[in-house]
Amino acid sequence: MTIDDRNPQNESMQSENILIRVKDLEKRFGDLTALSEVNIDIHRGEVVVIIGPSGSGKSTFLRALNMLEDPTAGAVYFNGVNLADLSVNINIHRQKMGMVFQHFNLFPHMTILKNMTAAPIALLKKSRAEAEADAMRLLTRVGLAEKAHEYPAMLSGGQKQRVAIVRALAMNPDVMLFDEPTSALDPEMVGEVLEVMRDLAREGMTMVIVTHEMGFAREVGSRIVFMDEGRIVEEAAPEVFFTTPRRERIAQFLRKIL
Amino acid sequence: MEAFWGTLQNSFERVFIVDDRWTLLARGLGLTLLITLLAALLGLVLGFLIAIVRSTHDKMTGLKPVPRAVLNLFNGIAKLYLTVIRGTPVVVQLMIIYFVVFGAVNISKVLVAVIAFGINSGAYVAEIVRSGIMSIERGQMEAGRSLGFSYAQTMVRVILPQAFKNVLPSLGNEIIVLLKETSVSGYIALEDLAKGGDIIRSVTYMAFMPLIVVALVYLTVVIFLSHLVTRLERRLRASDH
Ligand SMILES: Nc1ncnc2c1ncn2[C@@H]1O[C@H](COP(=O)(O)OP(=O)(O)OP(=O)(O)O)[C@@H](O)[C@H]1O
Ligand SMILES: [Mg+2]
Repeated sequence: MTIDDRNPQNESMQSENILIRVKDLEKRFGDLTALSEVNIDIHRGEVVVIIGPSGSGKSTFLRALNMLEDPTAGAVYFNGVNLADLSVNINIHRQKMGMVFQHFNLFPHMTILKNMTAAPIALLKKSRAEAEADAMRLLTRVGLAEKAHEYPAMLSGGQKQRVAIVRALAMNPDVMLFDEPTSALDPEMVGEVLEVMRDLAREGMTMVIVTHEMGFAREVGSRIVFMDEGRIVEEAAPEVFFTTPRRERIAQFLRKIL
Repeated sequence: MEAFWGTLQNSFERVFIVDDRWTLLARGLGLTLLITLLAALLGLVLGFLIAIVRSTHDKMTGLKPVPRAVLNLFNGIAKLYLTVIRGTPVVVQLMIIYFVVFGAVNISKVLVAVIAFGINSGAYVAEIVRSGIMSIERGQMEAGRSLGFSYAQTMVRVILPQAFKNVLPSLGNEIIVLLKETSVSGYIALEDLAKGGDIIRSVTYMAFMPLIVVALVYLTVVIFLSHLVTRLERRLRASDH
């Protein structure tokens, strides 16, 4: 990446410590507008929790951050580079944006260790030994070292999701994106996954999390973003958001979910 | 009864022993297997390429105009290929490739047969592999891409290994179909197994024995291959995690 590829905004973004800047983001699926006029700055070390009713565009927004959904208008600056620009090599930037999915999406034909080392070896040019050592360290951290040589199908949902998290971490990302990471889990497994995420937040990882776990959002979030009908309608610190919601729509949503 | 055995023995000798006629069948079987093997390999390569073009075309979004146009062109060619190959008899394709495409060229007939049957099989392999690719959850591609793998890298490392495993039994069956279809090689004067039986029939004026034996040989090979496919299926299911 040369200086020329960078957006002029880069300078101000650096000084303000902004990792992701979303400008007038819009996403349409045919006639349906899933996102419109979305603007937000995400700072380094921040934990942004996105909540909102079903179909409000939370997943679409999260997936637009790393261009899994290509926006129909607007920009996503990541480290100062507009990812929505088709001439940008998105693959390079995705290496720095870990993503965790609701359904884990581990590679079923690879062992846990292979799941975790494939990308670091191929993309970061790590040696196998180095990648495996790093992977083992991460697995140990989430208490799954003894599963390294198993296949994903042998793991419980909670274990799979913990592996999915450390698989993304193995790329040493600048930000982690989570789309309802606990929604597909049996209730007794939710805690172990949230615990790993809590640790990450404590270590200062920048995180964007879509979740329905309000207790967790309140505890870990540095900012709550409420989406409705494809727009960000409210942004506030958790203590403000949950105690004095300013809009009836939000109060209604919170009554239903809490 | 004795008379019957006598006749049978007599015709067996005329059909297989005299002039070493059995070698027509032995060499024919060798040729049939050779054409099948090489055509299957060509078909697999073609089929995978076509399947990748087709499914990439259907799934790719967010492309710049030029790659999009190239992809559209390749996809158009692939669709035309599939329509023409699957819409015409293989024996007609074989004759067109031999008498028209290579009509003015001195080329090995075996090679022509391999090309013709390979191109034919490729169309069926393409649809099998494409269904295999489509059967893989969307999340697999997304997980690969989110780690920073390119589309092609994710295809090769994540999607195709799973798709290939899922469609291995269907590919095995396609090879069995291919083996039987090579029996029209005689149309370009290749002496494969079927043609060998037919030659014996025409020189001995005896139809029953040579043709029944030819059928039995095909059947034996097919049963053997089916057995391999079944075992493969069972192995795959056992290792299904
Ligand atoms: N690939 C797609 N094609 C067409 N419409 C889509 C597609 N993906 C999402 N949508 C639509 O866009 C809108 C926003 O969907 P999105 O998945 O972002 O909502 P969400 O807030 O994540 O909902 P949930 O809480 O149910 O996951 C919905 O109306 C959805 O039907
Ligand atoms: Mg969603």
